[in-house]
This record gives sequence, structure tokens and C-alpha cells, in this order.
Amino acid sequence: MCKRSKNRLRIFLYLLPTFFFLFFFTYFPYFSSFIDSFGERRGNLVSFVGLKNYERLALDPIFHTVLWNNFLYSILTVPLTMLFALGLALLLNRKIAGSAFYRTAYFYPTVIPMAAASMIWLYLFLPTYGVINRFIMLLGGKSIEWVGDPHYAMISIVIVGIWKNVGYYMMIFLTALQSIPKSLLESAYLDGAGPFQKFRSIVLPMISSTSFFILIISVINSFQAVDQVYLMTRGGPGNATNLIVYYIYQNAFSFWNIQYASTLTVFLVTLLLLLTLFFFKVVEPRVYYESGETK
Amino acid sequence: MRWIAPRKSFQNILYHGVLILCAALILFPFLWMVTSAFKTQSEIFRDISLFPETFRLDSFREVLSIIPFDKYFLNTVKFVFGLLAVQFFTITFAAYAFARFRFLLKDLLFTLLLLQLMIAPQTLVVPNYIIIKNLKLLDTVTAISLPYVASAMGVFLLRQAFRSIPAEMEEAAVMDGASIEYYLFKIAIPLVKPSYTAFALVSINFHWNEFFWPLIVTDTVKSRVLTVGLAMFAESSESAAAWNDLMAATLLVAAPLVVLFLIFQKAFVESFMTTGLKA
Repeated sequence: MCKRSKNRLRIFLYLLPTFFFLFFFTYFPYFSSFIDSFGERRGNLVSFVGLKNYERLALDPIFHTVLWNNFLYSILTVPLTMLFALGLALLLNRKIAGSAFYRTAYFYPTVIPMAAASMIWLYLFLPTYGVINRFIMLLGGKSIEWVGDPHYAMISIVIVGIWKNVGYYMMIFLTALQSIPKSLLESAYLDGAGPFQKFRSIVLPMISSTSFFILIISVINSFQAVDQVYLMTRGGPGNATNLIVYYIYQNAFSFWNIQYASTLTVFLVTLLLLLTLFFFKVVEPRVYYESGETK
Repeated sequence: MRWIAPRKSFQNILYHGVLILCAALILFPFLWMVTSAFKTQSEIFRDISLFPETFRLDSFREVLSIIPFDKYFLNTVKFVFGLLAVQFFTITFAAYAFARFRFLLKDLLFTLLLLQLMIAPQTLVVPNYIIIKNLKLLDTVTAISLPYVASAMGVFLLRQAFRSIPAEMEEAAVMDGASIEYYLFKIAIPLVKPSYTAFALVSINFHWNEFFWPLIVTDTVKSRVLTVGLAMFAESSESAAAWNDLMAATLLVAAPLVVLFLIFQKAFVESFMTTGLKA
């Protein structure tokens, strides 16, 4: 009895620090944004306006552009990054000379700050004098205004996103590939399976839980991308690269409309939670887990 | 396992050709940044050669005279390692509670904690800015750290590690009259040291590279970290068209972690494999 109550206090104290900060800097902010989203500033006072901010959100053409942009950013970065990462992992998944070098060369952008990566790519993308444009002109093409051209600006920030993450996902895929039992592949070989058949019926199922993990984190991260938008394009030209978090930032700190920014925050967090729910309720049941591994 | 069997030397050459091409493409941006930092401004606008005529340190001198680099560096170290020290305690206790004790609503609390993995600090900049402002902590290194103190990834990782220790060890220690805390710090933590190393490396990398939340919550040199300082320099008139200076600044900001990575490569890579990118 005495020991039990002592343990109850102990459990409480053990959990307290983590849940104190989790509450005040993750859950309470969501809640307070929710409250703020029902207000509107009039002079120095904030008055209750019901769902007005949500009506505005539904009709705001810039928000629609931003949402579309973010969707586009995700649909471009996520599959491409995963595909390149898996391709590189398959190439590296055998004994070869220089494999340590290749791994380092592919992985190192993981430790480069996005702020530094943005500066580097801004420099590479420079009109006329940038090395990419010099190369294009050398081949007889015309210099492209990468970040200044609405048609290329999105591609620019997508390239930076892929470059930054591909090595990290490659390494995770590689770990998964190396954990596939050799006997499985050998017996498939003896059964006369070709490389593509082996890939489809053994490798792909065996790495599906890893792919699921990478898919979730990359989708979730793509909806929260902002560093390269702030540093490379400022959402421009003309909102062509404006993504949700940057639009929240603009509303709060450029237009000083905290209430509308809060409404957008509520929208984004809710979207992230729904995406998470979707992944775990709809996608995960289809994922194959290796025998013996529990979820 | 062989995907492209090296039956013919042509295939082998093709295979290595693809690997080298990919390595070159991924390495090139960094190399180009490094060598550009040693060029003069006129070289940058004049030619397209990878290496400068002579390796000049002028842009580094220029940058260090404009940017209070030492102050930014110190703030970053304070933020990253101060936070790590605090996280050590928060994740240890929470992870041990989840690994070894039974209590009401345990599963619900754990799910609530893991949801944090889905919400990055930049998403909550607006409400968290208001909270920090009300706490009168704007423009401090403490303010930058607060949203990261609770770490779902850290708790998750260490919970797994603590669960791998046989429960009998704790029972035996308590039987001998040791307190749970004594057992935790003297026996359990040393046993799962690799998990702590993994968490530390990922935490350091993640926070050293963090940009948007520190940007929002800092205002002056007093509390700015390296990444924010770099952005401030890029926006200032001093760096206009001076791409050699900007690349020198970029190199200075990226170098500490790159060097750390090259030294502890194996540990770094393994850490990322076990923890995921977030800390």
C-alpha cells in the first residue's frame, strides 16, 4: 500500500517535466489558436466574430493558391525523393569498392542547415552568373530566372528539398534492404525468379514498413516546409511558392492579423492530425510487417 | 544480392558511372560553395572554373568583420547543448516511467506524446510567439529552447532501450535496498548508452540546423543563432552581390556540423537510422 502510493507520486514526478512542456508548447498553443480564430481585432480590442475567419479562409483566393502550392510541393518532393533514395539504396546494396565514399557523398546534406542549403542553391540558381545558367548557356540554352520566374520557382524549392533529404532516406532504405534474409533471395533465385520478379515479390514487401515510415515523415514534413521559402523566394514571385507555414507567418508578422494567422494554424494542425490518422487507419493495415515484428 | 550482375566489364563501368554521377551531383553544390568562398567578387562574375586563381581569405575576413560570428556561435552552442542537457533529464524520466510502470491512461498519454512528432515548431510559431511574449522571454536563448524540451522521439527511443533490460535487474537492485533512482542512474542508463549517443547526435544536428522558430523569437545579436545570423547577413546591404562573402558566411555556418559528421560518421549515420530525423 505504502509502496504503491509512493510509486504513484514517483510516476507523476517522472512524467511531469515532459508533459508540462508538451502541454504548454504543443497542446495549449493549438487550443489558444483555436480560441483566437474566433476573434477579430477592432482598434485595440479583439471581439468575438464567430466563424468569420473560417468563412474568409474558405473564400480566400490566396489561401487556395497556397494550399494548391503545398499540395504540388508534396506531390513533387515526396515520390521523387523516395524513388531516388530507393534507387541509390539498391545500387549501394552490394559489396563494391568505395561504398563508404558514396554513402558519405549521398548522406552529407542531412547535416547541412536548410538555411545554408538555401544560400548555396540561390547562388547556383543565379540568373546569367549562376553556374547552372552558365552551363545551360554553354549548351546553347537561354538563362533561366529560376527563383524569379513563376514557372521555375516551385521547381527550384523542390530541387532543394530533394537534395537535402534524399541521402537520409537512402540510408534508411539501405538498412532495410540489408536486413532482408539472404536465404529468401537465394531460394527465389533457385526457383528461377529474375531480378524484377525478386524485387516485386520479395524486396518490395520486405521494405514496405520502412517505406511507410518514410512516406509519413516526408508527407508530414512537406506540409511544414518553410525555411527555403523564406530564404529563397519569400513565397514569390506573386505567391507562386507561398506554402502554408509561410502564409501563416505573413499574416501574423507582416499583416499583423493574429486572428487570421491563428485560423490558418488551426487548419494546418488539424490537417496534419487528419493525415496522420489517414496513414495509420487506412494505409498502415496494408503494410506488410516482417514476421516476429510487432507494430 | 546482385541487382546488376557485373558479368561484363561494360556493365560494371556503367554501374560505377551512375554512382559517381549521382555523387558528383549531390557533392557539387557544397564544393562550389566552398571554392567560391575563396574567390574574389570579379572572379565570381567572370569565369566558371571550380577553383579560384589563388585561395584568398579576404571574404572570410570581410564576413567576420561584419557578422558577430563568435556571438552567434556561442548562442548556438548554448541553445543546442543547454537543451541537450535538459532533454537528458526530461526524456530519461518519462521514458523510464513508460517502460517500467503501469498507470492510468498510459496508452492515451503515450499517443498524445507521439503526436508531437507530427507537429514541427514552425507550425505553431504564432501561438508560441504569443506565449513567449507573455512570459517576457522574447529575444532570449531560453525562448528558442522551450518548445523542444519535451522530446517525443527521445522518450520513444529510450523507452525501447529501457524495455530491453530484464526487469529482474531492477527488482534485484531494489531488493538490495537501492532506490529506483540509484538503479536508474548507476545501472540502467550506462547499459543503454548507445541509445543516448544516438539521441544526442540527432538532437544536436536537428537543433543546430533549426531556423524558423529561432528567427521568429529572436530580435537582436544578443540571442540570434548561426542560421538566423546567416539570413540576416544575406538580407543586409553588405552582402548584396558579394556572393563570395555570402558563401564564406555559409561555409562558416555549415562547417562545424560537417566536420563533426566527418569525424563521427559511423555514429552519425547509425543514430539517424535508429531515431528518425526529429529530436
